[in-house]
Amino acid sequence: MVKRGLRGGQLRFLTKTQVEAIHTAALEVVGKVGVRTASKRILEVFNAGGAEINQKDGGIKIPQHLVEESLRKAPRQITLCGRNPEYDILLEGSRVYYGMGGTPTPFIRDIETGQNRRPTKKDFADATRLGDALPNMSFLMTIAGAFDVPYQVEYEHEWEALFNNTEKPIVYSAPSAYSSRKVLEMAAAIAGGMEELRKRPIMCLYSETIAPLSIAVANENIIEFAKAGVPITEGAAPIVGATGPGTVTGALVVANAENLAALTLAQLVNPGTPFVYAGWVNAIDPFSCRLLYGAPELAFSTSVLNAQMAEFYGLPTFGFAGPSDSKLPDAQAGAEAMQMALMNGLAGINLCHDCGYLAGGSVGSMEMAVICDDVLGNVLRLIRGTEVSDETLAVDVIKEVGPEGDFLGHKHTLKHIRDELHIPSIFDRNPEAAWIKAGSKPLHQVAKEKAQKILKEHYPQSLPKDIQAQLSQIVKQAEREQVKGA
Amino acid sequence: MSEEEIVNAVLSFDGDKVTEATKKALKQGQDPVKIVDELTKALRIVGKKFEDGEFFLMHLVAAAEPVQRVIKEILEPEMMKKKEARKSLGKVVLGTVAGDIHDIGKNIVGAMLFAAGFEVYDVGKDIPSDQFVSKAKEVNANLIGASALLSTSLPMQREIVEGTVNAGLRDKVKLMFGGAPVTEEWVKEIGGDGYAENAIEAVNVAKKILKVQA
Repeated sequence: MVKRGLRGGQLRFLTKTQVEAIHTAALEVVGKVGVRTASKRILEVFNAGGAEINQKDGGIKIPQHLVEESLRKAPRQITLCGRNPEYDILLEGSRVYYGMGGTPTPFIRDIETGQNRRPTKKDFADATRLGDALPNMSFLMTIAGAFDVPYQVEYEHEWEALFNNTEKPIVYSAPSAYSSRKVLEMAAAIAGGMEELRKRPIMCLYSETIAPLSIAVANENIIEFAKAGVPITEGAAPIVGATGPGTVTGALVVANAENLAALTLAQLVNPGTPFVYAGWVNAIDPFSCRLLYGAPELAFSTSVLNAQMAEFYGLPTFGFAGPSDSKLPDAQAGAEAMQMALMNGLAGINLCHDCGYLAGGSVGSMEMAVICDDVLGNVLRLIRGTEVSDETLAVDVIKEVGPEGDFLGHKHTLKHIRDELHIPSIFDRNPEAAWIKAGSKPLHQVAKEKAQKILKEHYPQSLPKDIQAQLSQIVKQAEREQVKGA
Repeated sequence: MSEEEIVNAVLSFDGDKVTEATKKALKQGQDPVKIVDELTKALRIVGKKFEDGEFFLMHLVAAAEPVQRVIKEILEPEMMKKKEARKSLGKVVLGTVAGDIHDIGKNIVGAMLFAAGFEVYDVGKDIPSDQFVSKAKEVNANLIGASALLSTSLPMQREIVEGTVNAGLRDKVKLMFGGAPVTEEWVKEIGGDGYAENAIEAVNVAKKILKVQA
């Protein structure tokens, strides 16, 4: 049975008129300024689809009607599947799901030593198992990277590790047409063929245009996934004042234009391709020049602005939860994780990613992923809010107990209290004496121990041996085809 | 034309004012080499204010761009006429590596290096390592700077190191690397000479490894 996530969407900043103004501005940008690509394939799709293209500079101007038509073709609902159907999630409206990690991180905070180092494929597999075990992570990306395999086939190795180590839905990158074909081949082997994969997509492609208004050759991955009819999301993320205008709204117009171009590309290749909208505005620290993940501007653009645009388009959404600029799983990290998770949740973003990212996405942290899981527990409770009915108003119960009584053992209390009270997993609520007796552990220490325990104990259901062998064969073949001298 | 006027023009972040002040100084018979010195001095003030947290990165770029433009379009042609040249701290070949088209960081580094007095040869983005090497050979470069943002494009920096070795250039050219996944350790591992976290540091690192003073 597909999981129908809690509905967020309580938070709204923009009026309908403002949403329309942003949409119209984006249409003007894609229609008059256009996007540009170095990909002949992408250019050809737009050419055949009726866009105005410039063969010389790769310019693509997409007329308004083509964008609007593409928006109508994209489905409002996507069921993103786990290889175990228990984990299927329904992406629609303001339903909220959280996920671990993002694209590969160049470093991992070693769970044993606390030192940052280059991650390996084993770390990648371990991180995936961790995410598979954390109850509030409904889909997986990564907090590691396979840096010990030939770089030409990094993503093929990473997808193999994802498929082998989680039963949950996967959202991940495949940054070329080639790697997309390989990944789709792997997924089809698991699903039982391409047609079965289309019916039960066990993953969603994460693609990325390059702001401002550049469609990379790597974005041919959109063509491959669209052909297969497998879900796609595109994280357009201009930096305010750098790769986008110096206003969050202006940068959102650029992001929106890129996203509409990517959506149009997918719909031109295969009408009805499931497409998850993402309109984000990044920020950089104007002194260190580091890309920021804990910035409030990223938090409100990826949440409420993103959600309101997608709501207007009737598309599922991709946003953020849990990343931090802090170097440690510390107070800053906790505050930034909560800021992002709560904003995206209250905005009603379907897929909120990046839990476990530290140091502005440079470092993956298992402790932080575990802490995020607790943050998400609280956030999900906050989004759920409270129900108002005769049963919950409980006037008869209040009458019965009366002044100076108590409700502790009342039937009505027992009936509801488990649903009403959220119990965190690792956040400490003990009296001081009990906390001291348990070793006076700071939260990151408790998180570390929980992560270590999970890594020791949790192994998801393995893929059948013959499927594992097929995946491994596909990766080996990619190595032969892509790596010189392999 | 006072020195102050040039400095104030740069600090106004108004490109037209910088052009105007430069033209006025030339008209008054100032030596173009001296005007370049004044512009550079103004940029040093901007750099200091950036380091002090008063100016943002955006101010730095807004100040450097018009200076770069007036030097290239107005002052260098004047210097050519007089057979003079801008004092150069060295020649830098700069680009984003193959498989990567993220170039905003590289562009900022280029602007800062130019402003500091380096001759910058920007080879562009998605550039194979052999093109970095051949350009370095062609212009007799002192330094190659290469940027990578992606985990899959990071190994191209190693190829550039190997390329300079194979071309017999390694003892003639220093190698500086940057980009989000790059670290000092990585640069050491691949046998490069310098790593910079951002554009301002890139200028300092370039000066340090080339042993030049502004």
